[in-house]
Amino acid sequence: MTDYKVVGKGLPRIDGPAKAMGKAIYTVDVNLPGMLYGKILRSPYPHARILNIDTTAAEQLPGVKFIMTGKDVGDVRYAFVDTPRYPADEHPLAIDKVCYIGDEVAAVAAVSETVAEKALSLIKVEYEILPGVFTVEEAMKPDAPLIHEELLEGTSAWEDWGVAQKKQQREAEINVNNMSGHSAISFGDVEQGFKDSDYVREDKFELKATAHCQMEPHAAVASYDPVEDKLHMWLSTQGIFLKRFLLSKTFKMPIGKIRIHHTFVGGAFGGKIDLFPYEFCAAYMSMKLGQPVKIELEREEVFMATRQRHPMVIKVKTGIKKDGTILAQDIKVIADNGGYRGSGPIVVFLCHGFSFPIYNVPNYRYEGFSIYTNSGIRGPQRGHGAPQIRFSIDSHLDLIARDLGMDSVDIMLKNIRHQGDLLPNGDRLNSCGLKECLEGAAKSIDWENKRMQFKAQPQEGRYKTGVGISLCAMFSGAMYYPFASAAIVKMHDDGTATLFTGAQDIGQGSYTTLSQVLAEELGIGLEDVHLVAGDTELCPIDIGSFLSGTALVTGSAVKLAAADAKRQLLECAVEVLGVDDIGELETQDKRIFVKDDPEKSISFTQAIQTSVFKKGGNPIIGTGSYKGYSETDRYPSLAKCKGLFTGAYGFAAHAAEVEVDILTGKVKLLKAVTYHDCGFSLNKTIVEGQVHGCVSMGAGQAISEEIVLEKGQLFNASFLNYQIPISLETPESVDQLVATYEPTGPFGAKEVGEGALAGILGAIGNAVHDAIGVRVYSLPITPEKVLRALKN
Amino acid sequence: MEKTINLTVNGETRSIAVDVNQTLLEVLREDLGLTGTKKGCNQGECGACTVLMDGKPVSSCLVLAVKADGKTVMTIEGVAKDGSLHPIQETFNQKGAIQCGFCTPGMILTTKNLLDKNPNPSLGEIKEAISGNICRCTGYVQIIEAITSLAKEKNARGGV
Amino acid sequence: MRLPEFIYHEPENLQEATNLISEFNGRYGIIAGGTDLMVKMKQRLQNSQYLISLDRIPALKTIKEKADNIIIGSMNTLDDIVNSEIIKEKLPCLKQAAWEVGSPLLRSVATIGGNICLNTRCRFYNQSYFWRSSRETCCKAGGHVCHVTNQEDACYSTFVADTVPALIAYDASIKLVGVDKTRKLSLADFYTGDGRMPNQILKGSNEILTEIEIPIPKDDIRSVYHKFRVRESIDFPLVGVAVMMKGIEEKHCQDARVVFTGVGSAPVEAKLAREKIIGQQLTPDLILEVATMAVSELHPVKTDLMSPNYKRGIAQVLVEKALRDVGGVNNGKDD
Repeated sequence: MTDYKVVGKGLPRIDGPAKAMGKAIYTVDVNLPGMLYGKILRSPYPHARILNIDTTAAEQLPGVKFIMTGKDVGDVRYAFVDTPRYPADEHPLAIDKVCYIGDEVAAVAAVSETVAEKALSLIKVEYEILPGVFTVEEAMKPDAPLIHEELLEGTSAWEDWGVAQKKQQREAEINVNNMSGHSAISFGDVEQGFKDSDYVREDKFELKATAHCQMEPHAAVASYDPVEDKLHMWLSTQGIFLKRFLLSKTFKMPIGKIRIHHTFVGGAFGGKIDLFPYEFCAAYMSMKLGQPVKIELEREEVFMATRQRHPMVIKVKTGIKKDGTILAQDIKVIADNGGYRGSGPIVVFLCHGFSFPIYNVPNYRYEGFSIYTNSGIRGPQRGHGAPQIRFSIDSHLDLIARDLGMDSVDIMLKNIRHQGDLLPNGDRLNSCGLKECLEGAAKSIDWENKRMQFKAQPQEGRYKTGVGISLCAMFSGAMYYPFASAAIVKMHDDGTATLFTGAQDIGQGSYTTLSQVLAEELGIGLEDVHLVAGDTELCPIDIGSFLSGTALVTGSAVKLAAADAKRQLLECAVEVLGVDDIGELETQDKRIFVKDDPEKSISFTQAIQTSVFKKGGNPIIGTGSYKGYSETDRYPSLAKCKGLFTGAYGFAAHAAEVEVDILTGKVKLLKAVTYHDCGFSLNKTIVEGQVHGCVSMGAGQAISEEIVLEKGQLFNASFLNYQIPISLETPESVDQLVATYEPTGPFGAKEVGEGALAGILGAIGNAVHDAIGVRVYSLPITPEKVLRALKN
Repeated sequence: MEKTINLTVNGETRSIAVDVNQTLLEVLREDLGLTGTKKGCNQGECGACTVLMDGKPVSSCLVLAVKADGKTVMTIEGVAKDGSLHPIQETFNQKGAIQCGFCTPGMILTTKNLLDKNPNPSLGEIKEAISGNICRCTGYVQIIEAITSLAKEKNARGGV
Repeated sequence: MRLPEFIYHEPENLQEATNLISEFNGRYGIIAGGTDLMVKMKQRLQNSQYLISLDRIPALKTIKEKADNIIIGSMNTLDDIVNSEIIKEKLPCLKQAAWEVGSPLLRSVATIGGNICLNTRCRFYNQSYFWRSSRETCCKAGGHVCHVTNQEDACYSTFVADTVPALIAYDASIKLVGVDKTRKLSLADFYTGDGRMPNQILKGSNEILTEIEIPIPKDDIRSVYHKFRVRESIDFPLVGVAVMMKGIEEKHCQDARVVFTGVGSAPVEAKLAREKIIGQQLTPDLILEVATMAVSELHPVKTDLMSPNYKRGIAQVLVEKALRDVGGVNNGKDD
C-alpha cells in the first residue's frame, strides 16, 4: 500500500477544539440584532378539514409582529420527491385540510418566544374532524377514506434540469387506495425458480417507525435584506444547495437571491434534508417584516412533525436448492409514509436498491408500495430502507438455514456477490469485500463455538446467549440535485491552502476527511489546510451530506481541485528546477522536489511567486468537480427500478452476541462486530466513530426504539419515553476495516456511516432466535414480544 | 416578576436581573451569551444543558435561575484555561469522542465532575456517570475510551 | 414551552413558609429540587400563581441520628442520601433506592422530599399542553374522563417513586408542618390511592413535608430494593419492590414487608404475603407461593407503555428475587 502522509491516519478532527470549548456556532446559537421569534401552530387532529381560522385575538397581543396562515401563502407546494409521476404534495401551512397530528396550520413571529407561545394559544381554529386511517392495511382498503383526494397535477421542479423523465402514463393496473408510490421490477422467471427449488419458505416481518434523535433540535434563522433584496438563512441542514434550490422554487425567487450561511449541525441522520414548513415560515415572515426571524422547534415537535423512519411490512419468499443456492426470491414491501408523501416512493425503490447488491438471485421479483396514513411524515433516515429490507431478508435466510439444518453463514457465502460482478441494473461492483467481511465477522464473534444452533445441549438458567449475523450494502452517492460537487483550493503565499467546499459536516467528520484529501494530494500537512465550508455564496456547489456521497463525490472533487493546484505549482517549478516535465517532480511539506534528486527543491512560496510574476499574476487556484455517477445523466426510475443507481457500493457484515433474560424478556447486546468495506479509510478514528454510531443506533432500533402511535397520536415524543440507547447499554464493539480499493473514490474510499447500521438489526434478531430458540418477527424486539414468543 | 441574583459564572462574579420564571439555561444562553450550553430537550432528559453548579452536574433547563443565587456555576466556556484546551477536551478530541458536538459540552462537564471526585473510575463507574447524557453520534464507545484513558493518565501522573 | 409566569418566594424559615402557604391557599406550588415540577410547569400541568421554594431553609437539609431513629430533612438531595455515611451503613435499602432514581443529573438536584411527594404519572397526563389538546381533558388534569379506562371521575395514574417502598419497608414516618400544627404520620398513611390527588399535600392539606423519621433497623433486619426499567438510567421504574425481613437468620421470619411501586396509584404493600411469611422458614416453595400471593394483590392498569400483564410478570420476578436475596436462598444460575 502507498505510504500516505495524511490520509488513512486517525487524526483528530479539525472542528473538535471549537466543539469541545462550546465555541462552535449551531443554528440554535445564531442571534441577530432585532431578531424575532417564531412559533408554529399545529393540528391536534390526525385528519380534519379547516373550517375557519380566527387570528384576531392573537394579532392584538402586544409584541406580536406577524401571523400567517395557509391563505396568505396560497397553493405553494414542495417536497423531497418532486417528479412528474409524484408531484410535490406538501404545503408550508395547511390550506383547507390537515393530514396528521402536528400538521402546520399557522405561524407567528413575535418579540419573544413567550409572546409567540401566548399568541398561538389565542388563535382559534375550527375543525371538522374526518375519519382517519392509521395502518397501511386500513389505508389500502377499497372503501378507505382518502387522505389526498385530489390527484395532484404538477410539473417537476427538476424538469428544467432535464434529469426528470417525461411524464408517463400511469399504470392502470395498480389500483390501491392512498398509494403514494410504487416500485416494481423482476428478472429471470420467479415462478419457475420456485418450482426448481428444493425448499421454499415465506415470512412476514414488521418494523415500527423510529426517530432520528439528532441532539440539536431543528431550527432556522431567516434574515431578509430589502435593500439588496436578498434572503439570508442559517439552517440546521445536511445540504445547503438542495435547501437553496427548494427555497428558490417555493418562493419563485432567483436562486442567487438566497444565501445560506454556515452553521454547525448538531446531528442529522437523514432527518434534516427536506425543506420544512418552519424554514419556509421563518423566511416568509422575515421577508414580510424585513427583520430576522428565528424558529427553533421543541423536542416534541422534532419527534412528531419533522421526519421518522418508515414503518414497514415486508414479505420475503425464497426458493433454495439443497446445497444452499438461492434460485428465486419474491419480495413485497409496504411502507407507511404518513400524512404526506415524504420519501415514500424513494424508500420503496431503495428497499430494492439495498436488497439486490448482496445476493446473486437469478430469478427475482420485487414490488413495493408506499402508502399514506394519518400519521407523521416519514423521510430519509440513516440507511433509508436498508435496515428494514436487510433485517427482513437476513432474518428470513436464517430461518431457512434452521429449517434445513444448515449454517446461515454457509448459505450467505454461497450466494453473495463478488468484486467485478455486474448488477442487473448495470452497476458494476468495482470493489466488494463482502466475502471477507462475512468471514471476518463470523470469526470475530466466534461463530462456530458460540452459535447455539449447533449445540446439542440447551442452555440452563435465566440468561441465554446466542449469536447472529447479517449483511448490508449502501450507495456512495446517487443522482439527486445538485448531482455534482465542486471544490476550490486557494493557495496562500506561505504555501498553505484554503479549501472551499459546500459540504456540511453534520458530525460525520467530512471537514476533516476532505481537508486530509486536500493535504495528501497537494503535499501539505493537515494543519496547513484552512477551511471555508457550508455557505452557498462562498463555496462551490455540493451534493450535500446525504445518500452517503460526501467521501466519494465531494472527496473526488477536492482531490481533483488539489491536483489542479498542484499541477500549477509544478509547472512553475519545472523551469526553476531545470527539469523537462512535471512528472519528474513531487511535493511534500509545502515543497517541490525533483524525484531523482531530492536535494533540488523549491518551496511552494517560491513556486507561487514564480506564478504571480511569470504567469499573468496567477496566485494559483485549483478547481475540481465530480458527478454523483459519471456514466449517467438521469436519475434512476423510482417506479421501474431501472437506470444506474450509484458509482460504488459500501458493504458490511455485522455479527451480534446477545443475552436474553427469559424471565423479563430483556435483550442485551453483549458484543457487536462490524467488518466493513469502505474501500479505504480516510481517517481511522472518524471511520470507527461512524461504525460505532451506526451500531448503537441500529441496536436501539432493534431492541428498544419505537415511535408509539395510537390513532395517529404519538405517545413517546421525549427522550424519557422514546428509548434511545444510553451509555450503560454500550456493548463490546469491534470494528474492522476490510480494505478494498474503490477506483472511482479518492484514494480508493467510498461510503461509510450509513450502511453500517443496516446489518446490526438482522444480526441481533438472529442472535435472539439463537439464544431462545424462537423468532420475533417484528422490531423492536421488546421484552413483551420476547415473552410472548417464548410462551407460544 | 424580576429578581437580582448574584452568582459566580466561570470564575467571574455576576449580578444579573432575571425573570423568576427563567431557567438557568435561558439566562446562560440568552442573557450571558454562553451558548456553549445546549438545549436538547428542555425537559431534563438528555443532558445537553449540563453545567456544574457548586461542582455538581445539573440539567440547567430544570433549574430556576433564581435558585442559582449565591452559587458557583461552571459552563463549558469556563473549562479551558488561557485559551488552551483542558486535558479532558484535548483527549475527547484525540479519541474521536466528538462528532456533531452537541452533547459534547455537557458530556465534558459531567466527565469533569466524575474525575474531580474519582480520579480512578472503573468502566462501570464511567458508564454510570455519563448515563444521563445522551449522545446519538458516537454510540458512547469513543467517549468511554477517552474517559478511560484520562483516568489512566491521571493515575500515571499521581492525580491532578 | 417556556415556564408560565408566577410570583416567587424564598422563605428562610418554616414559620415564614407556612404563613405563605396559608396566605396563598390553593394558589401556590411548593418547589423543592424542581426536577419534576419544572417539566410539569412547562407542560402547563401546574399553573400556580405563587411558587414557594424551600431552598433557603437550612433546617430541612440535615441528616442526623436521634435516639433510635435516623431523621432526614426533606430537602436533602438524592445524592446527599446516596453519599451519607449514616444511610449507607444503617439504611442500605434506602441508599440503593435513592441511587436508582432517574439519572445522575437528576439526583444532584432532586430531593428525597420531592420523591416522596412525587405526583402519579400516566401516559395520557404527562404530556405537553399541545398533546393533551387532541383529547378531552382527563380527570387528573381537571376534566372528568379517564382515557385509560374510559371511566368518569376515576383516575388510575401510577405512583412511581423509588425511595418510598424502601422507606415504608423501614417503617418510616414523616413530619408534616402546617401553619398552626405539626403532625407525624406513618408514611404509608400519607398516600390516598386516588390518582387525582395521590397524597395528602397534593390533596390540599396546606402542609410542608419537613422530615422523614426512620427507626434504626435492628441487626437482624435485612432488606433490598429491586427495580425494573428498560434502561438502567433516566427511566422511571416500571415496577419496583422493597422487601424487608426480620430474624430470617434464625430460620423463622419474625416480620416482613413487601412494598411495590409502579403498580397502582399509591405504593402497594402486599399484606397477605406478609401474613403468609411471618413465622415461616424461607424455602424455594414458600418464596414462590409468597411471590404469587403478593402479585395477586396488584392491579396495574396501562398508564405507561407496558401492558398490565407484563408488569405483573415482572413484579413476580422481582419479588421472588428480592425474597431470595433477603432470605439468603440461593437459586444458582437464575440470579
